[in-house]
Amino acid sequence: MKTLDRTSSLFWLLVSLLVFAESLRIGIGTVENPGMGFMTFGASGILGILSLALFLQASLRKEDGRQKPLFAGTLWRRVVFVLLALTVYARAMPVLGYLMSTFLLMSFLFWVLEKGRIGFVLLYALLATLFTHLVFSKWLNCQFPQGLFGF
Amino acid sequence: MDFFGSILYGFQVTFQPINFLFCGVGVLVGTLVGVLPGIGPAGAMALLLPATFKFSPTSTIILLAGIYYGVQYGGSTTSILVNIPGEASSVMTCVDGHQMARQGRAGPALGIAAWGSFIAGTISNIGLMLVAIPLAHAALRLGPPEYFALMCTGLIIVTYLAQGSVLKAIMMGLVGIILGSVGLDLISGFPRFTFGINELSDGIGIVPLVMGLFGVSEILENLEGNLQREIFKTRIRNLWPSFKDWMDSKWAIVRGSLIGFVLGILPGGGAVISTFVAYAVEKKISKNPEKFGKGAIEGVAAPESANNASAGASLIPLLSLGIPPNPIMAIFFSALIIHGIQPGPLLIKQHPDLFWGLVASLYLGNGLLLILNLPLIGIWVKVLEIPYKILFPLILLFCLIGVYSMNNLSFDLYVMLFFGVVGWMMRKFGYEGAPLILAYVLGPMLENALRQSLLISQGSCLIFFTRPISAVALGFAFLLLLTTLLPHFKKRRQQYDQFKE
Repeated sequence: MKTLDRTSSLFWLLVSLLVFAESLRIGIGTVENPGMGFMTFGASGILGILSLALFLQASLRKEDGRQKPLFAGTLWRRVVFVLLALTVYARAMPVLGYLMSTFLLMSFLFWVLEKGRIGFVLLYALLATLFTHLVFSKWLNCQFPQGLFGF
Repeated sequence: MDFFGSILYGFQVTFQPINFLFCGVGVLVGTLVGVLPGIGPAGAMALLLPATFKFSPTSTIILLAGIYYGVQYGGSTTSILVNIPGEASSVMTCVDGHQMARQGRAGPALGIAAWGSFIAGTISNIGLMLVAIPLAHAALRLGPPEYFALMCTGLIIVTYLAQGSVLKAIMMGLVGIILGSVGLDLISGFPRFTFGINELSDGIGIVPLVMGLFGVSEILENLEGNLQREIFKTRIRNLWPSFKDWMDSKWAIVRGSLIGFVLGILPGGGAVISTFVAYAVEKKISKNPEKFGKGAIEGVAAPESANNASAGASLIPLLSLGIPPNPIMAIFFSALIIHGIQPGPLLIKQHPDLFWGLVASLYLGNGLLLILNLPLIGIWVKVLEIPYKILFPLILLFCLIGVYSMNNLSFDLYVMLFFGVVGWMMRKFGYEGAPLILAYVLGPMLENALRQSLLISQGSCLIFFTRPISAVALGFAFLLLLTTLLPHFKKRRQQYDQFKE
């Protein structure tokens, strides 16, 4: 945990510095008449101090044994693929429309864990797409994009 | 209108067909969400929120309350049968509930969980009616300094009760305040922290934030590991607890209800903490503490009563003060704002249909859960048997639909994915999401109260210490912080002394 805490504290320190600088830029005003950067100025200042405190606390902590790498023994590649697919979906939905893009996304997501059974993958994806379209678009009147193909 | 007249009026509102339907749908969806891992009550509420836009605020709140109640019920099913808590508030139920199931007593465990929840929910509803109105009257006399102090205290309590490092919890609270300030400034009307992105002018939406931090991050965490889970196969019979079970659990239910109610009202309290406290109290005062952990029925009755009692009680600060005491109530708060209703001391007076309709729906929801859930327990067990490889794409799709349909913007999907990754990393690095969400919602109100207080006092911070309520609240918050830090300093001092010797 020592390395993780030190890494994360440095990340939050960086965030606090950026917010601190932006707060100064937009104006913190005075104590009598606080500006729109007043609150974030204070919050980022305290965040920076606490990040340093966490860094020091982690650095002074005695820990036995070697730190296990963050992604050791995990299937992190699967997570990356899913995240990429979701990002592409967010980009493609307005262009391809809800039905087409959702069917493709669902096919991919089912395929990630059911690689050998393409028939089942396509069937599940089709059912999931049609079911959600029926419930959310037809019954609950949610507005989904129609895309290039008009559906 | 007198007290009983108001209750009758509430039932009139609740028994309107649309509200009755929403109550039923809410408790069923809530139970389903409680049974399934991944979405969580906040995510489920966020998912259904866009679908409620064309309905009245009363119907919407009845639906959300039903989900919240249902989740507490549903979580116990997975705890008892699978030893996996559907929700954090069902963690303690696993300890004895699953042991009971292994001993062939899954039926009485599920039965006492349902009955305990029903009794606790009823006690909590009565408390809600008795406490919320006087508190709302008292709250009319509170000014910006008092609100600032109360919100600060709430945030400090949340960080104090954090399961991990308090330091990290405070940091998350500060990050939440910063995220809450994105968008147009409340006083000047100028944009800030939008970095030229027009979609951020209205701020970061609570739905993508919550869905990302809680829903998507949990799915990503599950995807990293082995997706297999073992369901304990048992015949569920004797759902009605025996006379001995009732005798063993009766005081556990009463004590759990009272603990849940008191902790539910406190800002920062809530269902999770109350279950831990209720379980610890039962074990402490039991004549046979060694039974706990080996299938004691009191170990199921107390936490299940506590989580339902606190669910009702946490509505009190929201409806009477306008301060959401936990992240779930933050979603309620946002739902009310979206429907054009300002939660606060005037809510009960200006919207009696909403308040009394909600109170009556809590009674109805409790009854519906008892009537529907015990016979439907077989269906919930079947739901548990659905493989995660089928569930996870569906849960992800529901998250995507819920977020998109809020504003029909793809940008919100990116925000959700961003916070999904942030939440996933937070889990890995040991940071909690609850303080962040609460601070995100309270942030703009906190800022408003602070700036108004400083304008009133012409820049003097003494205004927070010269007014009794704010002085007491801030003093309490300071004491809490001190009790957190003192053991740390004491330890350091001891290390220093040892080093010197």
